[in-house]
Amino acid sequence: MRRVIEGSQAVAEAVRLARVQVISAYPITPQTHIVEILSEYCEKGTLPARFLRMESEHSCLAALIGAQMMGVRTFTATSSQGLAYMHELLHWTAGARLPIVMAEVNRALAPGWNIWTDQGDSLSQRDTGWLQLYCEDAQEVLDSTLIAFRLAETVSLPVMVVLDAFYLSHTYEPVDVPAVEAVDRFLAPYAPRFRMDQTVACSFGSLVTPNDYMEMRHDMALAMEDALDELGRIEAAFAGVFGRNHGAIEAIHCQDAEIVLVTSGTITSTARLVVKALRERGERVGLLKIRLFRPFPGAQLREALKTAKKIAVIDRNCSFGAGGIFAQELKAALCNLDPCPLVYGYIAGIGGRDVTPGTIEDIYRRTQETDRPSDDGLWIGLREEAPHGR
Amino acid sequence: MQQHTGETAMNGTEMRNKLLIPRSCITTEGNKTGSWRFLRPRYEDKTAPCAAGCPAGEDIPRIEMLTSRGLFKEAWETILRENPFPAVCGRVCFHPCEALCNRGEYDAAVAVHTLERFLADTAARCDFRSPMEPVRTREERIAVVGAGPAGLAAARFLTLLGHRSDVFEAAPEAGGVLRWGIPAYRLPGEALRQDIRRLEREGVQIFTGRRIDRAFLTDAAGTYAAVVVACGHGRGQAMAIPGETETGIVEGLDFLRGIREGKGDPCDGLTAVIGGGNTAVDAARSIVRLGGKAVILYRRRRQDMPAFQDEVRMAQEERVIIEELVAPAAALRDGEEIVLTLRRMIVSGEEHDGRGRVVPDGEKSKDLRVRRIVRAIGAGPEAAWMSPETDAAGILTLGHCRLAFPERQPAVAFVGDLITGTKSVAHAIASGKEAAIALDAFFNEGREAILPRLRDCTVGDGTALSLEILLGGERRLRSPHVVGYAEINTDHFRFAPRLTQPRLLIEERIRGFSEIDLKISAGLAMKEAERCFNCGLCNGCDNCRLYCPDVAVIREGEARRIAYDYCKGCGLCVVECPRDAMFLEEEGR
Repeated sequence: MRRVIEGSQAVAEAVRLARVQVISAYPITPQTHIVEILSEYCEKGTLPARFLRMESEHSCLAALIGAQMMGVRTFTATSSQGLAYMHELLHWTAGARLPIVMAEVNRALAPGWNIWTDQGDSLSQRDTGWLQLYCEDAQEVLDSTLIAFRLAETVSLPVMVVLDAFYLSHTYEPVDVPAVEAVDRFLAPYAPRFRMDQTVACSFGSLVTPNDYMEMRHDMALAMEDALDELGRIEAAFAGVFGRNHGAIEAIHCQDAEIVLVTSGTITSTARLVVKALRERGERVGLLKIRLFRPFPGAQLREALKTAKKIAVIDRNCSFGAGGIFAQELKAALCNLDPCPLVYGYIAGIGGRDVTPGTIEDIYRRTQETDRPSDDGLWIGLREEAPHGR
Repeated sequence: MQQHTGETAMNGTEMRNKLLIPRSCITTEGNKTGSWRFLRPRYEDKTAPCAAGCPAGEDIPRIEMLTSRGLFKEAWETILRENPFPAVCGRVCFHPCEALCNRGEYDAAVAVHTLERFLADTAARCDFRSPMEPVRTREERIAVVGAGPAGLAAARFLTLLGHRSDVFEAAPEAGGVLRWGIPAYRLPGEALRQDIRRLEREGVQIFTGRRIDRAFLTDAAGTYAAVVVACGHGRGQAMAIPGETETGIVEGLDFLRGIREGKGDPCDGLTAVIGGGNTAVDAARSIVRLGGKAVILYRRRRQDMPAFQDEVRMAQEERVIIEELVAPAAALRDGEEIVLTLRRMIVSGEEHDGRGRVVPDGEKSKDLRVRRIVRAIGAGPEAAWMSPETDAAGILTLGHCRLAFPERQPAVAFVGDLITGTKSVAHAIASGKEAAIALDAFFNEGREAILPRLRDCTVGDGTALSLEILLGGERRLRSPHVVGYAEINTDHFRFAPRLTQPRLLIEERIRGFSEIDLKISAGLAMKEAERCFNCGLCNGCDNCRLYCPDVAVIREGEARRIAYDYCKGCGLCVVECPRDAMFLEEEGR
């Protein structure tokens, strides 16, 4: 059924449809609406799940680790400082191979306190072993959440569904909310590959010597690799039931583009309009949206970008001292191409600052007019007249 | 430690990802994580502020803990260990404990006073027998002069310490001011007799109708090793005004005694009561009950009155008029009436105790026509020998009593109102108890032992003494640290309204001398006792065990112990102890 709902509600509807059994949460803006709706669903029985209100995000994830080990499907949602507080247990979740799904609403980190969108929180957790999907609109939020459960449970790794604060979490959009029967056809009940047996006393995650640890980690690396192919298969199955999919990446007009803009999250929607307008004016510009950040879809990106001359990556984040993170990752993925396109990094929209069509066109023009990209990216849209960069 | 690497591979898929899950099926008990600890939690009961502030040193947190569980006999016995007057104190003690109650900072103080009365009522109803048996272990006999609360307390504690004590009372019945000075609506005779009968069963011998004179202090030598002088303040102070001896001017204590002796003549018309203490208020309220009107004339302000505030408030409810800032200047009989001339006073600065200092307001005065005057401006000892010397050689002044050691004569202890600053039954009991402990130390080990012995059995950091601590009971193990409100973990409590003392209606009160405060039910008592934080006293709430993340608190029956082999010293148990009955110390190296 098509409904006009917030991105937050899109998450909550997906969690309901996925028949999640245990939810834990600690409220934090802008994640709050997600867990408010879910707590109501749990209270009313709309979703027969156990809702745990915890005293911290650290405990939220700890509780889910325990629950998931008992063989149930679990979910949590957080943002910014909350995610940072979970950090230790993010590693634990992945290392314990628990397919927990989390909605992560991108919000800037303090100080100064800023509740607006910024990818710094989720991207600083990129090495924890969680899969990460960055969503462009509310429909993608709902679909990605459903896909996340199946993907996580297939590869035995946790998945983070990432959505922009306010632009997605608090914006109402028309969303196709599928019937539960349809979702049941796509997503089978959770069949744990292992679980705690209360009749056999034992401890999990105990000491592992150098003799075994490396193999455990290698298995995780292999599972991440598998996730790339699995996402394709799962999205095909999704399309079979719902008639749509989103892909790890989406390439628009990239075949004949000289300059390709690379985006993630809601900036993509704005970029679509800019690219359309530029194309109408005869510019050879393309757009590449990265939805799957972990595992990083290197092969697909190399294929899509092999003919581009210049690539302009728009990062709503900054790894201080190394520039935008999507740009870094992309450079690493492309560096062995021959010829290798030039990668221009741009940092924009930090802490929720608007990224307008004008901003994106400015980035396109700068890329067009500059022969060599700067090393660590160019900050676009600072209050001063001149852009700062190195 | 043995290591299992369990593996449950998923079969039949083309996926390469295996699932290596480290899993250990052997016990982790071999891993003695207690060695990581650098802070050590310990159980340690501490001192509750109410107990430290109770002049009688009652173990209030324990009394309330037992009451909340319905263990009324045990609770009553816990009172008896420190205070032989639960029926009296449950009625007339001004309960300084409640002013110090930590719960007062949270919502409202626990109604300790009402609960004490409940326990005494329960003991009377069930005819509980005192667990204290008289055991004569000492040869010394002690004479006690005066069977008021201080004398009886001294005799009783001396008896418990193994001495024989004989109490001599001039009046035909024991009780002193409790019997003759406090109106029956506050303390019915039967309540007092309940406590006195039990004291006698505990071995205290009381000889009534035996007036003692000064010669006794020397004559007693040979029979008695010590004399406890507990005669109280029986003589009223004079106003020193012209007309003081007019007929119709009576002394407050005499007036009250007359009523208790059954001579409560009707008091028609207006009676002036001079003074601001409890005797004045008692007299005024009694006048109302005898059909008259009463006006209390006090030279300072209403808030400066030394009478218990609750009594003053109830007096006003009963339409006693309080006129402040007036002092009597002259009295003149005029037929049926007395013309009382009053000098107007004004406040001029403050006394050391915070009361207003007053001076005459120039020549301003007024006349008041009254039928009679009750004078209650203070009292002193009846005879000079009852007043101890202050700092002569051989005099030892303690917190609540004074001792004299005349040569070749029995030691003398002056107790009760003769000594104490605050004239209250609780202070009288404190005085008697201190004298008993001091004399016992003196007989056993000599004069030098007195001060160390008293220090040893002090409750917390206060001045109250505990017989249980003296006798090596469980209270001895408690730390003297007095638990403050900040040390209570109030997260573990809920707001709960304080019990309201049920009382006779005002209309019923003023009709006679029936006791005003009514009994409460066991259910109400338990509910009120549950409000007690039990400051510093483990009540077995089990929070330490439930919050321990290492399952290192082991319950053994009602007791708990910490398994230090596994306790990492996180301190959660200490933080989550609602009542500060634990503490965290640095681990010894």
